Amino acid sequence: MSISRRRLLAAGGGLSIAALFGAAGCGGGEDDSGSGDALTVLLPGDVPPGWDAVLNAVNAKLKADLGFTISPQFTAWANYKNQALLKFTAGESFDTALQARWLSMTQLVASKSLVAVDEMLASGEYPNLSKTLDPKLIEQNKWSGKLYGIPQVNAAARIQHFNIRQDLAEKLGFSDITDYATLERLWYAVKQKEKNVIPMAVNSNMPDLLISSGQPVGLFNQYSWENPRPTTQAFSGDSLPFVLAADARQTGSSRPVPFWEGPGMIEALRAVRRYYLDGIINKDALNVDTSTVNSQFESGRYASRWAITDGLSSKSSATVAAAVPGARLANVVPLRGGTAARPYQTFQADNFVVLNVKGGSNEKAMQLEDWLSIKANHDLISYGVEGTDWRPVGSDKFEQVTKYTFPGFALCWRADLELKIKDITESEDAWFTWAKDYDNFTVDPFASFIPDPEPIKREDAQVVAAMTQYANPLFVGAVDVDKGLDALKKALDKAGLAKLQAEMEKQANEHLSGR
Amino acid sequence: MKTVKKRKLEPFTIVSIIGVGFFMVLCVIPFWMIISGSFTSESKLATTGYSLIPQPFSTTAYEMIFTGPTVAEAYFASIFITVVGTALSLAATSGIAWVIARRLPGISRPIAIFAYLPMLFSGGLVPLYLLVTQYLHLQNSYFAVILPLLVAPFLVFIQVSAFRQLPEAILESARIDGAGEWRIFFRIVLPLSKPILAVVGLFYAVHYWNEWFTALLFITDVHKYPLPLLLQNLIQNVSFSQMLPTSAGQSPPVYQLRLALTAVTIGPILLAYPFAQRYFVKGITLGATKG
Amino acid sequence: MSALQTREVRRAASKPKPAAPARRPRPLRGNLWVGLLALPAIAFFVVFAYLPMVGLIVAFKEFNVADGVFGSPWNGLDNFRYFFSSGEAGRILLNTLLLNTLFLAATLAAGITLALMLNEIRGRFFKRVAQSTIFFPYFVSPIVISIILQVLLAGVGGSGGAVNDALAGFGLPTVDWYTQPGPWPWILTVVKVWQMGGYLSVIFLAAITSIPEEVYEAGAIDGASRAQMAWRITIPLLRPTAAVLLVLGVGRIFYGDFGTIYAIVGDNGTLFPTTDVIDTYVFRSLRQLGDFGTTAAVGLFQSVVGFILVTAAVLIQRKYAKESSVL
Repeated sequence: MSISRRRLLAAGGGLSIAALFGAAGCGGGEDDSGSGDALTVLLPGDVPPGWDAVLNAVNAKLKADLGFTISPQFTAWANYKNQALLKFTAGESFDTALQARWLSMTQLVASKSLVAVDEMLASGEYPNLSKTLDPKLIEQNKWSGKLYGIPQVNAAARIQHFNIRQDLAEKLGFSDITDYATLERLWYAVKQKEKNVIPMAVNSNMPDLLISSGQPVGLFNQYSWENPRPTTQAFSGDSLPFVLAADARQTGSSRPVPFWEGPGMIEALRAVRRYYLDGIINKDALNVDTSTVNSQFESGRYASRWAITDGLSSKSSATVAAAVPGARLANVVPLRGGTAARPYQTFQADNFVVLNVKGGSNEKAMQLEDWLSIKANHDLISYGVEGTDWRPVGSDKFEQVTKYTFPGFALCWRADLELKIKDITESEDAWFTWAKDYDNFTVDPFASFIPDPEPIKREDAQVVAAMTQYANPLFVGAVDVDKGLDALKKALDKAGLAKLQAEMEKQANEHLSGR
Repeated sequence: MKTVKKRKLEPFTIVSIIGVGFFMVLCVIPFWMIISGSFTSESKLATTGYSLIPQPFSTTAYEMIFTGPTVAEAYFASIFITVVGTALSLAATSGIAWVIARRLPGISRPIAIFAYLPMLFSGGLVPLYLLVTQYLHLQNSYFAVILPLLVAPFLVFIQVSAFRQLPEAILESARIDGAGEWRIFFRIVLPLSKPILAVVGLFYAVHYWNEWFTALLFITDVHKYPLPLLLQNLIQNVSFSQMLPTSAGQSPPVYQLRLALTAVTIGPILLAYPFAQRYFVKGITLGATKG
Repeated sequence: MSALQTREVRRAASKPKPAAPARRPRPLRGNLWVGLLALPAIAFFVVFAYLPMVGLIVAFKEFNVADGVFGSPWNGLDNFRYFFSSGEAGRILLNTLLLNTLFLAATLAAGITLALMLNEIRGRFFKRVAQSTIFFPYFVSPIVISIILQVLLAGVGGSGGAVNDALAGFGLPTVDWYTQPGPWPWILTVVKVWQMGGYLSVIFLAAITSIPEEVYEAGAIDGASRAQMAWRITIPLLRPTAAVLLVLGVGRIFYGDFGTIYAIVGDNGTLFPTTDVIDTYVFRSLRQLGDFGTTAAVGLFQSVVGFILVTAAVLIQRKYAKESSVL
């Protein structure tokens, strides 16, 4: 009776028929979306509280300035990927959507469903937009020389790190943590002294971030914190990470090896296993989702959790303080060398606003993006009506008064325009500011390399399945390292590791010689 | 009127009471966990995972659910979809089920197979999507939610098997009296089948009441969202992937919200259930003599 | 009383009433007239089920959005090879069969047992309350089931849990449930029984309701005990209903119960050895790539196997119990 899997996978057969009808020209693709003079904008998440008022204000202003309005369609997160793909495949004429590699961007680029925007950008007709996009950002987000969407970032780089309970750290004598070894000592101190607090929170969405990742650090990988210059690439988000040769740029040969052959990886696996056995991390990591763990963190159950340099982890400050009197948060980035570490960055944006080839008017969509790059407009849709929904705090911060919350990264994230949240802690503010400067990072030699999974897609699917089954338990320390690694290697061999490795080498070498 | 003769309590009856009681306990405890938890503050839930006493008391989750601007509209949409959908489904299902149950040579079996195959084979999402949006133009209509779910093969066959249990003698005597087939169906078969109609109707109602997926596909107008879609969105609004920047707003109470959503969904069903129940829970008359 | 009489009753009870045998040749026109009743449902199936089935051909295509169906090259059975070349196919097929058989048998048994037991209960009020209570789990979403299970088996943070507390209380060793694949088929079966028991009992209760009083009266005159009557009269009369559910269930035996299993097990690889079924495997390996041809191929495979199994089940049923055959 359950057809949920089919539903979730957008049930196979179907998609082709869309193409069938589309190709036969009898579908037309004219429907409610894109009708009239309203641009249809696909957004993820739920309709924000107070949305009608904000949308009216936005549309009134848009109409006056540009002569058209927008009509956003919200889709809940869990369904967004399929819904968006479905609408693309059905040939609907919506105008913009959020896309990303972790959504269906690779596929959509391959099928030429997205408008390359670099020429439009270069035309100079969209000065406000151009002004807010750093040339480096545009350069590094080109796929095979073309920019397929407006990269949505609020900083130059994204470095994952730790959000810790500063009050606990101070109480235990670790007021200033700058390296990984100290952080680890804090965890063990928490374990020993604080009976009801688990030192570090891990959840089921993040096993691939713990050991090896292109982030450029593995969260529990001490080596990577000391040498944040890995060249890791994978065909898809959950696939096997390959470590490419560090001197690839010089030699022209990428020589990819599976992640466990990379430096520091095995040690990191053993460390996580130790954390698991010692109770440093939660034992149910494979089963709890992000929101559950965050809620537990906000209730004081954990001493630290995952964070990324988006300046937003401090928003939990008030909730934590309400649950645990005196609780304070801080962000710890245990890079060796601190802000002078200059870690590798690909500068690839996690999210893009893409333009639909079949959209009503790509020019209008660009005009919209340009219009949203003007501070007043940007603030209106991002934070709501000033004075009602939010008020400015200082020159670069804001306080949200109502519950209005907008997925800005799906339409209008501009690094220069984003206001910081009122509660941002000093340490987070410092790291966020640091992350906004391109010069604090070294460009990854494989920065604009986007591996194409098409030639090995079946093997990759098998590898993804094997990774989930055998690598994830290893990454969260749930199984013995040696036994687990053996099982993983066997499964990967069966799944087609050799083919993937060869394909990765071929594509990476081509990328190197293409430079 | 039937009266129950005094009898001694038999072992099987005792076993039954214990068995049902045990199963009830298994259901009541989680039920209470959900209700109580939905009224407990998130900070307590997040540290223990559950709460058997709503302490500290909190209605945050319900406020989130019921202060949405479109909740009233969503209730209307859901009630419309459930009532109209159930009526249409019940009519269509009864019709085809009777034709199958009649075992008409050359008709019943092909129709049975015809109704069964869709349970196994499905063309998938996109053809359906194109059909509804580009050919039937039903987007943003409640019928876009109802029609794709109109007949559930599973329930057709449940009804077929019930129809086949009808006493043939009554039907035969009606035929002898010269009643036409349609008359027999409407005047005899349907009234005699109240229990199964109640069950099938209940299942359809439950189905429509919970349905959010077709609504997700075909209803883009926020003001026409049925309740389950609204609730789905609410719960999924909490971040879903690490790649997602968290929004700047306060995070919603995830535990509490999930539990409260369950409570909100179950509520109306539990209220409607006794009405359907009358038809298939008959008083115990087993072994009784007519008085 | 006589054993003979009881046997007679039993035979009468277990023999389904002949349902409208076409003894007299009926004019075909009359039949078509009745057939009209099926028209709305037939129209529904044609439009919403059969028309979209054109989509199945993508299972044989190397699909890409740009080329569409006509442009996309045929690739024969390539899409089918993906699943069987995984090296995991054997285990996954076995899991699927095993879990679904367990679910089907356990939920059917639970539904019948609960219906029989409810039928025994006399207090109207208690009976109604009991009914409502056991029906309720059907409405609990898989994600809430998963939360409750975690409370029971793991506790917050993954160490502890109510079950382990109880085990420790009795001085027994505790279990890391979420890393031990062994008990999971049983845990999932319990969840399914909990979820579906009340729901299925409603179907059987309705069937019991339609059993004529006289059948039991005959039994009562015989002096049969209530357990005997349940066993000899009620259960045989529930057989056709159970047969329908069984046959319908057999057809879907290659589908996993994706919603529940995925919500509970999720991406916890340590439990896959016993819980990974076709649906979860396909979902997991293809969610990233969105290769719809392959997904369709696996779906078609499931459908075809289901079709074969159902055909077999129906043929067997016709041979041994022609009167109660479903299709």
